[in-house]
Amino acid sequence: MAQDFRRGAVVGAPIVLGYFPIAFSFGVAATKAGLSPIEAVVMSLLMYSGAAQFMAIALIAAGAGFWISVATLVGMSLRHVLYGPSLLRSAGLDAPPKGALVWGFGLTDEVFGAGLGAFARGQAMTGGFIWGLALVSYAAWVCGTAVGAVAGASALAAWPAVDAGLSFMLTALFLALLLSIMQRAQLPVIAVALAGTVACSFAISPTAGIMAGMILGALVGTVVGGRDAA
Amino acid sequence: MRPEIFAVIAVVGAFVWAFRALPMRLDMAKMPEKGALARFFAATGVAAIATLFAASVLPEFSAGRTLPALIGSAAVLAVYLPSRSVVLATLAGAAAYGAGFAALA
Repeated sequence: MAQDFRRGAVVGAPIVLGYFPIAFSFGVAATKAGLSPIEAVVMSLLMYSGAAQFMAIALIAAGAGFWISVATLVGMSLRHVLYGPSLLRSAGLDAPPKGALVWGFGLTDEVFGAGLGAFARGQAMTGGFIWGLALVSYAAWVCGTAVGAVAGASALAAWPAVDAGLSFMLTALFLALLLSIMQRAQLPVIAVALAGTVACSFAISPTAGIMAGMILGALVGTVVGGRDAA
Repeated sequence: MRPEIFAVIAVVGAFVWAFRALPMRLDMAKMPEKGALARFFAATGVAAIATLFAASVLPEFSAGRTLPALIGSAAVLAVYLPSRSVVLATLAGAAAYGAGFAALA
């Protein structure tokens, strides 16, 4: 168990190195948007979803209502539904290792990707391994947020280029995530989502653009995917 | 902690937990890969990320930061394609954007 945990932690080390600075920039951005350090850390503890958290502070700063915020953030997270079953399939298991209701919360995009890679290389999906992988990644995310939030909005005032770079972290994260989940069959979904977002953002408002892009893209994907499968 | 912010965090956090943890217990591994529900889930994720990329990059163009945004996006592509690492690509994109911003300042 302890050896498997260590193995999981080692596989998670690159995630830790990446998560800490991204979470730091989230902490800084959250305090810039008017959140307190405690609110930023609680968000990382309970949501633990980088893209959704960056979008949450943008929605909060824009004064978006409760239901618009929840619908947008929940829609962003729907893709995670397939991660657990995909991991089980790739590891050749019918049931998850013990404690899945707890460690399952740690199945972020990066943890999922690292797990898939490890199982493809022959690593067994044991409880110790998945706990090690999930826990070090979660700890890095929460600690990075806390350091960034405590450092505060003015932490980078003397380094405008670093501040600018961190402000682009969200856009870079979305683009990288899009590349990581993109397949040729989904190009119509992406095209319609992009076009719908741009058109409605200019014609109505950025919030309407987000809702329109997500809904139109998902509808196109459901219909086009059905035709391809038929 | 403001209650309205905690409410958003708690509700979204509960959904995130349910989306990640429950499918393994609900036997969704046996869900048909080409079924309507699977297609909907798959399409929603991609549509959401594409939408959010567009929504986050649009202000860069209207704020006159087009060139740093293009440099940052190109760096994400350049690092992701060979490494297939979301984390490395994100960090490279942010670094390249910052460098472009500094060079143009």
